[in-house]
Amino acid sequence: MKKLMRLVMLSCKKVTELIEKKSLVGLTWKEKIHFTMHRSMCNACSTYQKQSEFLDKILYQQNIAPFNENIKIIKNKELKERIISSL
Amino acid sequence: MGNKMDKAIPAKTIKLWVESYSDSLYSWALYKTSEKETAEDLVQETFLAAFQSFEGFKGESNPKTWLWAILNNKIKDYHRKRFQSPIVNEQMQSEGPENTFFDSLFDGNDQWRKEQRPQAWPLPEEHVLDDIEFNKIMQHCMRELPDHWFSAVHLKYLEERKGEHICQELNISATNFWQILHRAKLQLRKCIELNWLK
Repeated sequence: MKKLMRLVMLSCKKVTELIEKKSLVGLTWKEKIHFTMHRSMCNACSTYQKQSEFLDKILYQQNIAPFNENIKIIKNKELKERIISSL
Repeated sequence: MGNKMDKAIPAKTIKLWVESYSDSLYSWALYKTSEKETAEDLVQETFLAAFQSFEGFKGESNPKTWLWAILNNKIKDYHRKRFQSPIVNEQMQSEGPENTFFDSLFDGNDQWRKEQRPQAWPLPEEHVLDDIEFNKIMQHCMRELPDHWFSAVHLKYLEERKGEHICQELNISATNFWQILHRAKLQLRKCIELNWLK
């Protein structure tokens, strides 16, 4: 039974890869079916997907303006002087 | 005479901008590249580009927004070039370390190793970006990524456009790109779990 399952089911490694494919270019209908089936039966992968989407959200948010203002400011006086003298 | 005047006004304005914004632009560039010299060069180039195309800035937008847009484009170019550099490609093709990496997470049947199976995180997701400790760990974990993974992640999340366009510009197949993102994400997730949730 376990062997049979393995033939039908995608591996966890493949499923975690499809998560990236999904967010980059989307999945084919066949992949969608396999993906959904695996995820509904595998706790580890469905948890992984949630955490992966959480990381996506953070990585996107880090690129928008309000976050820019939250990063720690590192002063660089030499750079400032260098730029001004080069203008 | 007229020419001199034309140059004098932008130079004066840009100098004021350097005073006001160079530190925050530099901090951002450093955050996005993890390299001091690179960050300095990118910021200098940003102000130079702003100076040269000063006429394009008509005071319609906030100077800060304008400078930020220029800098972000330069950061993208930097990652694109680095991603395409021959050294990076060599790293990508050397199979050894990558197999070890996958082997540490998955067993012979490509299923999660028992001790590696993801467990739910107790996350206060809403405000996590304001959490200084979390941001520190995130930065640390990003820096731990191999160079080409690091650049791939930045390229994906700096772009607002679709994945296909990023791949076209990088001249790699989409498959190649999401496989790199896959490894990067697995490592990033693991690193955050080890450092943040311990």
